Amino acid sequence: MKNLSVDAVGMEYQVPRGASVEALKDVSFDLEGGRLLTLLGPSGCGKTTLLNILAGFLAPTSGSVSLGGAPITGPGQDRGMVFQQGALFEWLNVEKNIAFGPSMNRADKAATKAKVEDLLNTVGLAGFGDKQIYELSGGMQQRVALARCLANDPDVILMDEPLGALDALTREKMQALVLKLWQETGKTIVLVTHSVEEALYLGDRLFVMAPRPGRIERDYELPFAKIGLDVDARELKASPEFIEKREEILSLIWDMEEQIMGHEGN
Amino acid sequence: MFDRLRPSGADADARKTVTFGDAAAVRSLPFWSAISLLLIVVGWWAGTKAWGLPSEFADGVRTSLAADGERYTDRALLIACNNDAACEGSYAQWLGPRTLASPMDVVRAFGLLQSEGFAGETLLEHTRTSLWRVLRGMFWGIVLGVPIGTAMGLSSRLRGFFDTIVELLRPIPPLAILPLFILWFGIGDPSAVRLLIFASIWIMIIAARAGVRTVNLSKVRAAYSLGASKRQVLTKVILPNALPELFTGVRVALGVSWGTLVAAELVGTDTGLGSMVFQARNFFRLDVVLVGVIVIAVIGVLMDILMRAIEARLIPWRGKS
Repeated sequence: MKNLSVDAVGMEYQVPRGASVEALKDVSFDLEGGRLLTLLGPSGCGKTTLLNILAGFLAPTSGSVSLGGAPITGPGQDRGMVFQQGALFEWLNVEKNIAFGPSMNRADKAATKAKVEDLLNTVGLAGFGDKQIYELSGGMQQRVALARCLANDPDVILMDEPLGALDALTREKMQALVLKLWQETGKTIVLVTHSVEEALYLGDRLFVMAPRPGRIERDYELPFAKIGLDVDARELKASPEFIEKREEILSLIWDMEEQIMGHEGN
Repeated sequence: MFDRLRPSGADADARKTVTFGDAAAVRSLPFWSAISLLLIVVGWWAGTKAWGLPSEFADGVRTSLAADGERYTDRALLIACNNDAACEGSYAQWLGPRTLASPMDVVRAFGLLQSEGFAGETLLEHTRTSLWRVLRGMFWGIVLGVPIGTAMGLSSRLRGFFDTIVELLRPIPPLAILPLFILWFGIGDPSAVRLLIFASIWIMIIAARAGVRTVNLSKVRAAYSLGASKRQVLTKVILPNALPELFTGVRVALGVSWGTLVAAELVGTDTGLGSMVFQARNFFRLDVVLVGVIVIAVIGVLMDILMRAIEARLIPWRGKS
């Protein structure tokens, strides 16, 4: 299990007309392998920027990130990414989308085929291998995206609001799937979300981030993800402990939003 | 009464109450297409028919033409009539044989063009020559245009470099560049094909450039995360993603090329549909001119239908994601 290490990372964007925006300032943390970290915060707090830095799509202006001691300098197969939507390849069917990673590495065809079958079962899409992407619903498309990411067997899975575009019911089912995959594969997952409930339910660890400059405001250790599959999800989300945490974080974010409004008012 | 001809059954659009302004509820009805086609043919027939021509005169012309081994046509009949004091002025006609050939004359010309040919080749040969020219022009337009457009979509340096060239040359009508092409490449086939390349290449460059730039950043990033190399990102993601735009480019370029064909074949070629039309004009063979025009129109429509069918098969995801 490789640890993810973020050391004094800063990200500054130069905007037209001179001023610069600090999307991230002095962000440091260590994440042991096998944890599920959720990132939560108002818009502009730099959570997607942080995820893109971890994926290697962006290079931070200061500080460094590393996975298992090796510095992250660009995208790599040890870190898989699941996007909100639109990242599947419409010209390939479900099977070929999932096999994209292995086929880029010219992996053995028979082994890849077996792996794809296996992954289709894992994400609950058995029998959908020869369907076209546009024939699937939004939830099923995200299942394909998860399977495609798993096909390369990455150490870390990065998810950028993967369930953000789904309807409420599908979203709950997909949350259970994410938990199941996390528990079965033991992979490190970093998930960005706008939903407090989702962050609490899925997060084994949770960062509440704050804007201007983008930073980690609170770091929570949470019990819910570990038991999330053993108890009824709705009951868990209605339990006093869960609601207490939810309200605490909501008011935290509310206060941030108020501050932003006041800031903009001046 | 025409309500019964509307698409009916399990069609949700048929139950819409707001239809004026809702493009999805407005259907073209095959019935009205047939009506418009019928109106054209009837108007053509009525306009070119000589009304009130003495029938005994027509029979006489028919017999004498047959005796000379010549074909009987409306055109021959009217010329004979105008040379005969007894017949002249005895009929009424809106469009004379020097304005428009009659439908029957055009039908006869069709048969004649196939059996005897015009300007040394049959209609089928002229058509084949023209199609072959357009295909060659399109082929080089695509082969040269797509890589340039792709390069422009991928590199700002190359975009800057080629933008000036493309934007300066693109608005030039192929006909305006024709004199230069004749000087450079001589008259005949080479000039015609090069003119067709000139007609299609800008369209293909712009289509490829636009197609490359439509690629969603998430797709590219996903591919890199999955271990794709730059080359694989280009061939497995960017180019397949650009297929719909490329295909639209091919369809537009094909239409424009076909339309430029008549101009291209002016370049001293003595074969091809465009050349056939212009030579026929010089001999006042309006029936042959009309045959050429109709064939060009019908092939243009057929090409578009064919391209749409290929597109539906090749790019089924278009407009669905």
